[in-house]
Amino acid sequence: MNFVISRRRMLGALAGALGWIASQPVAKASKATVQKLLAGSPAPKGYDPTQHKWLMCIDVDRCIGCGLCVDACKTENHVPEASSFFRTWVERYIIKKPADGGNDVRGEVLVDSPNGGRGGFQPSLVPREEILRSFFVPKLCNLCEHSPCAQACPVGATFDSPDGAVLVDPTYCIGCGFCIQACPYGCRFMNPHTKTAEKCSLCYHRITRGLKPACVEVCPGHARIFGDLKNPVENDPIQEFVRKNKVFTLKPHLGTDPRVLYANMDKEVR
Amino acid sequence: MNHFKMPPQIVRLVLLTLVVVGSYGVARRLLVPPSFGEYGWFRGAAIAELAQTKPVLAGMKSCDECHSEILQTLAKHDHKTLSCESCHGASRTHADDPDTKPPKVKFADSDCLRCHQSNFSRPAWFKQVDPYEHFRGDHCTGCHMPHQPKDTP
Amino acid sequence: MDPALTPILEAAGEAHQLATSIEGYVYPNEQNLLWSVLIVVYPYITGLVAGAFIMASLVRVFNVKALTPVYRMALLTALGFLICAPLPLLFHLGHPERSYQVMITPHVSSPMAMFGFVYAWYMMAVLLLELWCEYRRDLVVWSVRERGLKGLLYRVLTLGVRDLSPAALHLDERMSKIITVIGIPSAFLLHGYVGFIFGSIKANPWWGNVLMPVIFIFSAVVSGIALCVVLYKELCWFRRKVVDAACYDDMGKFLFYALLVDFTVEGLDWLHRLYAAEESIFVLKQLAGGRLFNTLLVIQLCLGTLLPLVALGATQMVPEKLPVWFRQRIYYNSAVLILAGVLAMRWNVVIGGQLFSKSLRGFTTFKLGLAGQEGWLLAVGLIVLPFIVLGVLIWLFLPDDTKATETVTTPAAG
Repeated sequence: MNFVISRRRMLGALAGALGWIASQPVAKASKATVQKLLAGSPAPKGYDPTQHKWLMCIDVDRCIGCGLCVDACKTENHVPEASSFFRTWVERYIIKKPADGGNDVRGEVLVDSPNGGRGGFQPSLVPREEILRSFFVPKLCNLCEHSPCAQACPVGATFDSPDGAVLVDPTYCIGCGFCIQACPYGCRFMNPHTKTAEKCSLCYHRITRGLKPACVEVCPGHARIFGDLKNPVENDPIQEFVRKNKVFTLKPHLGTDPRVLYANMDKEVR
Repeated sequence: MNHFKMPPQIVRLVLLTLVVVGSYGVARRLLVPPSFGEYGWFRGAAIAELAQTKPVLAGMKSCDECHSEILQTLAKHDHKTLSCESCHGASRTHADDPDTKPPKVKFADSDCLRCHQSNFSRPAWFKQVDPYEHFRGDHCTGCHMPHQPKDTP
Repeated sequence: MDPALTPILEAAGEAHQLATSIEGYVYPNEQNLLWSVLIVVYPYITGLVAGAFIMASLVRVFNVKALTPVYRMALLTALGFLICAPLPLLFHLGHPERSYQVMITPHVSSPMAMFGFVYAWYMMAVLLLELWCEYRRDLVVWSVRERGLKGLLYRVLTLGVRDLSPAALHLDERMSKIITVIGIPSAFLLHGYVGFIFGSIKANPWWGNVLMPVIFIFSAVVSGIALCVVLYKELCWFRRKVVDAACYDDMGKFLFYALLVDFTVEGLDWLHRLYAAEESIFVLKQLAGGRLFNTLLVIQLCLGTLLPLVALGATQMVPEKLPVWFRQRIYYNSAVLILAGVLAMRWNVVIGGQLFSKSLRGFTTFKLGLAGQEGWLLAVGLIVLPFIVLGVLIWLFLPDDTKATETVTTPAAG
């Protein structure tokens, strides 16, 4: 009796396995149809992610610390209001003069970013005569070539889009937070309302419509330079930026190979 | 024992393994999203979905459709690097339907000082003022026209 | 009040509260800790699983006969804790209902994605299989003797294999041994992988470290043996039995040597960090001497490692000078201290790794709530739960009337 049941079960399992193998091509075909339907429906019609390669560059010398970018980003992307959630933020670096008779060429480094720099920066309380150098550094997703966040995501909810943006699929994210831990630049956060990881998407819904990212749109100093490597325009700002400047990346020793390039950045920035 | 017989333990365990592996295979077939793997290890449809969000900032191009003469003035003066929405605020609702007012119609001195208040951290090339020394009139806009800041109204 | 102002006021209030808990500069998104006590509990429980299994495998693979009284208890402990191991992970997820995706679309480059497979492998191919081979004879016997639900359960668990011929029992024996041999690397994999989850994070200098999996493995072995030391004594007390002195001495011995290795490996880690002195060393030193002073230096190092090391060392060096009851008291108390020390170690790794900024310029503060998804209550509940599961397992599979030494199918058959 037992044996009969087990044979039946074994046959059933075998049939199931065979059916699975046989259904493979059919499933592939139906997948393709669904893909076509989905790819054909979105609002920005005709956008092909394989035909673009987006990039942002930052000129530190042109950032005036107004914080309009932070404001615009919060508004555009409905980022939670609280002061611990930012897709982009601005840091102020103050490098003090070294102590008299010391051996240092540069003194203590003070960094702050009150409310992410959202409302701009009040003049620092550090007396001017004690400051050696001071500057603002806008921060955003570094668009790593080898993004540790996408590497770490257990389900493929965050990924390197073919067009260079590193995106989060909010309907697929399980909210484990591993990508947030893996980002060396602190560019990610857990959205308390959606309970999913969130980050700078280069304003994906804008760039796919031919608009600039919100932060680039409002930046009064042209400190943020945005462009498409695959479709350079006349006097392309990105090409001009990399020709004219010595460029740096953040935390190069980690091997993430950020694609966001910084010009005129001091060694203290990290 | 003259002929080999598969021990009952092994038979049961092999069957159990088949059931477990088989049900995993079936679950995979049913649950993997259709567009998964289109471009890489993610849901390909997510790209299109993310692109569908409605923008909040309209962008200067849409301002140009109606206010082109202001944009031309702006382009001739020192504030030429500014975008309309840097000062006027996110205006897509206004751009979509010109009857709705743009969000920000009144300006305060703080809007100017946000950029122009003297601050040692700002780059030296940038025009900065100490409001207490510089301030001689009533409001910034008393002496400076925002679209052509060197001109007095 | 203008309702539009509410979020702005809330933000200002939060900013003020954060400003008081932050020292130096941290990236804005790092101000609040992301991973909380649940992620402390998770590697703790997995470590206990791996350690208890290694404890059990000492009997099977290394033929440490003296430990046979605790063989079944150690295996059941591993099972009880393994059943509960994924719960803290599940509770901490933002979307637990999507957790199946880890199995369905596992991203092979992600150590976290491998969790499902390592767990499933360990649970089904190792632990359950080993227990089945070990228990099959008893299950058949019990299924005849017991009635009602309990009898039915035993009957189902035999999977219908009721053959008790010497040949069949011999096969059980051999399979069990093979599984244990596979099981040891699997147990190391299970917990080494937990260490790798942290060790692979190069963004975080406190975590990103090749020694991390090794440290996790050895601390797991230590904590697992310590748990068995405590549980065995408690079980004997509960059943009013006498502790098997030879067995307990052997457990104490293995506990000491495991702790010694663990201490060496962790010392090596610190030596390496201090000598290599990468850019992060200043912030890590400040962390160890400041916000982690109590949990790292006091609880983990002094109370959880050095004190048990000295006490257990004495029982190994001069056993003849210590009476049996005193030795046993040392084993038990050392094991309790070690269990606390390893919990502190998990805390230091998980919480400590998030207390400093990846900008290496400042620190934030961890505030632990009582209730809620990431509060004390849930964490304590999740630590207690495996003991309850274990109690049920012992009630079902380690009945009082069976003498443990007899039920173990000794390798004599082979």
